[in-house]
Amino acid sequence: MIEVSQLSKRFGAVTAVDGLSFAVRPGHVTGFLGPNGAGKTTTMRLILGLDVPTSGTALVGGRRYRQIVRPLREVGALLDATAVHAGRTARDHLLSLARSNGIGPRRVTEMLRLTGLDAVAGKRAGGFSLGMKQRLGIAAALLGDPPVLMFDEPVNGLDPEGVHWIRDLFKALAAEGRTVFVSSHLMSEMALTADRLVIIGRGRLIADTTVARLTEAGGDVLVRSPQAAGLRGLLTGRGATVMEVPNDGGLSVRGMDAPGIGELAARHGIALHELTPRRSSLEEAYLNITGDSVQYRAEPAGTGARRDSSAKAGEGAR
Amino acid sequence: MSAVQARAARAAIPSLAVRARDVLASEWIKFRSVRSTYWTLLIAAVTGAGGSGVVAFSMAHARGGAPPFDPVAMIFVGWLEYPVLAVGILGVLAFTSEYGSGQIRTTFTAVPRRPAVLAAKVAVAGAVTLAFGEFLSFAAFLLSQAIRSGDRQALSLSAPGALRAVLAAGFCLSLIAVGGLGLGAIIRHTAGAVVALPAVLYLPLVVLSLPQPWGERIGRFTLLAAAGQLVSAHPRPGLLPEPLSLLVAVAWPLAALLAAAVLLTRRDA
Repeated sequence: MIEVSQLSKRFGAVTAVDGLSFAVRPGHVTGFLGPNGAGKTTTMRLILGLDVPTSGTALVGGRRYRQIVRPLREVGALLDATAVHAGRTARDHLLSLARSNGIGPRRVTEMLRLTGLDAVAGKRAGGFSLGMKQRLGIAAALLGDPPVLMFDEPVNGLDPEGVHWIRDLFKALAAEGRTVFVSSHLMSEMALTADRLVIIGRGRLIADTTVARLTEAGGDVLVRSPQAAGLRGLLTGRGATVMEVPNDGGLSVRGMDAPGIGELAARHGIALHELTPRRSSLEEAYLNITGDSVQYRAEPAGTGARRDSSAKAGEGAR
Repeated sequence: MSAVQARAARAAIPSLAVRARDVLASEWIKFRSVRSTYWTLLIAAVTGAGGSGVVAFSMAHARGGAPPFDPVAMIFVGWLEYPVLAVGILGVLAFTSEYGSGQIRTTFTAVPRRPAVLAAKVAVAGAVTLAFGEFLSFAAFLLSQAIRSGDRQALSLSAPGALRAVLAAGFCLSLIAVGGLGLGAIIRHTAGAVVALPAVLYLPLVVLSLPQPWGERIGRFTLLAAAGQLVSAHPRPGLLPEPLSLLVAVAWPLAALLAAAVLLTRRDA
C-alpha cells in the first residue's frame, strides 16, 4: 500500500509535483500515467525518500520510506536501470545490495536466474545493453521479496520477448497480493498490464480510476437518422452533447446512453438507421483527459489532430 | 491478510549492531569489486616506495652540503605528491563514482540512513588505507635503510622518534583518503573533486611562505604541515608539538566528514 497525500515538490520556480493525493492498493497492477514531464519520476523519488517533499507526505505500508529498517524487504524499486556502477559485475552489484539489507547470497543467485542474467552474472554491468540493465534492475527490486514494488518506465529498452516477460511478471506479482506501481507515458502499454490507473499532468492528479471506467467515460453513441436535425434538438434539450461526425452525417452523442436515445426517438416518431454505443480506445481516453496538461507539445501535424479536452480534465490541470 | 503481508509482519527488526554490520559488509563488497580501488593503491605503492627509494639513493650519495633537516621526514617527502593524491582520489571516488553513475540512488534506496552509508564507507576506506599505508611506510623505510646501508647516517627503527614517524606516515595516508571521501561526498562530481583535492591540500601551504614568524604560525595549522611534523623524527620547534599536530591532522578530514554528513542528509539524491 502506497499512500500519497497533498504531496508537493518545488525545484526553484518549477513545481514538479503539486498537491498530489492518491493511494495504490495491493493485489493490483496500478499504472502511473502522464505525459513527459508530468512529475511521475519525481513522485516516485519522493515516495522512496530520495527527494524531500516541499510539503505533504508519502507513506509506504504506513511509514515514511526513510524510517523503514531494511527497506528492500518492504519496497522494491527500479527507477533508472542505467544507475549502476559500470565497473562492477552484476553479481557483485546485487550482492552488495542484498548484504545491506541482510539478504543472503542464495537469493542473489535465484534472482539472477529469474531475470535470465545468470550467464552474464560475472560480467561488468557497464557492458550490458539497456535491456540487460533493466533485468538487473528488476532483479535488484525483487531481492527482498517485497510486498510493494515500483517501476519507472520498465519496458524501455526491452525487446518484445522481454516486454512480454515483464507484463506477465507484474501480473503474477499482483496476483500474489503485492502492490505493483508502474509508471509509463504509453497508455497502450498500460492497457495491457494495469487494471487501475493514476493519471497525472503537470504534477497534479487528473484521474484515479480503473481501465474499465476510463474507457467507458470516454465513449459516445453513434446515431444515424434521416431526421438528424430534429433528433439533435431533442437530445440537446435533454442535456446531451451532440456533435456531427465530419463528412459522415452521423451524430456523436455523449451524456445519454443508447437505450435512452432509442426511446426518446421512438416517442417522437423519429426513425433511426444506426444506434451504436462506442467505447473509446484507452489511448483516446487518455489523450482526451491529458490534452490540456502536456508540457512539451509538438505542433499538430495536420488539421483535426488537436483534440478537445473533456470537461473532466478541467479540474485536473490548467 | 495476504501471505506477503503476514511474512513482512513476522520479520523482526534487527539490532543496530546487526544493521551496522550489514551496511559495512555491503560497502566492503562495493569497495573490493571495482578496479579503481586496486589502481589507486597500486599507484600509491609504486610512487610511494619509488619516491622514498630515490630520496634514499640521493642521500646515500650526497657529498658535503647541509645535512637533511630530518632523516626520517626526508624519506616521506616524495609522498606529498603521488601517494597522497592517489589515496585521496581513492577516497573521492567512493562517493563520486556513485553519484556519476546514479548508483547513489540505488544505495540510498537500500540504506535510507545516509550517514550510515558515509560511516561505512569511512570505515572500509579508512581501515584498508591504514593497513596499506602502514605496510607501505614500513616498506619504504626499510627500503631506504637498505639503500643507505653503507651510509654512516643511516637510521634504524630504534632511533629516537623513528618508529613514531614511520607509523604516522601510514596513518596520514589513511587520513587523506578519509578526507578525500568527505570531499567527494560534498562535491559529488569526480572531475570537480579530483581538481579540488590538490587545491585543498597544497594551496594552504602557500601561507608557509609568508614572512616569518607568520608563515609558520598560520601554516602549522594546515593538514600537510601537521602531517609533516608527525612524520619527522625530530619535530621542528616552529610547528605545533606532535599531539597538537595530530589533532590538526585529524580535524581537517573530520570537518570534511561532518559537512558531508549534513549535506548528504539535506540534499536530494
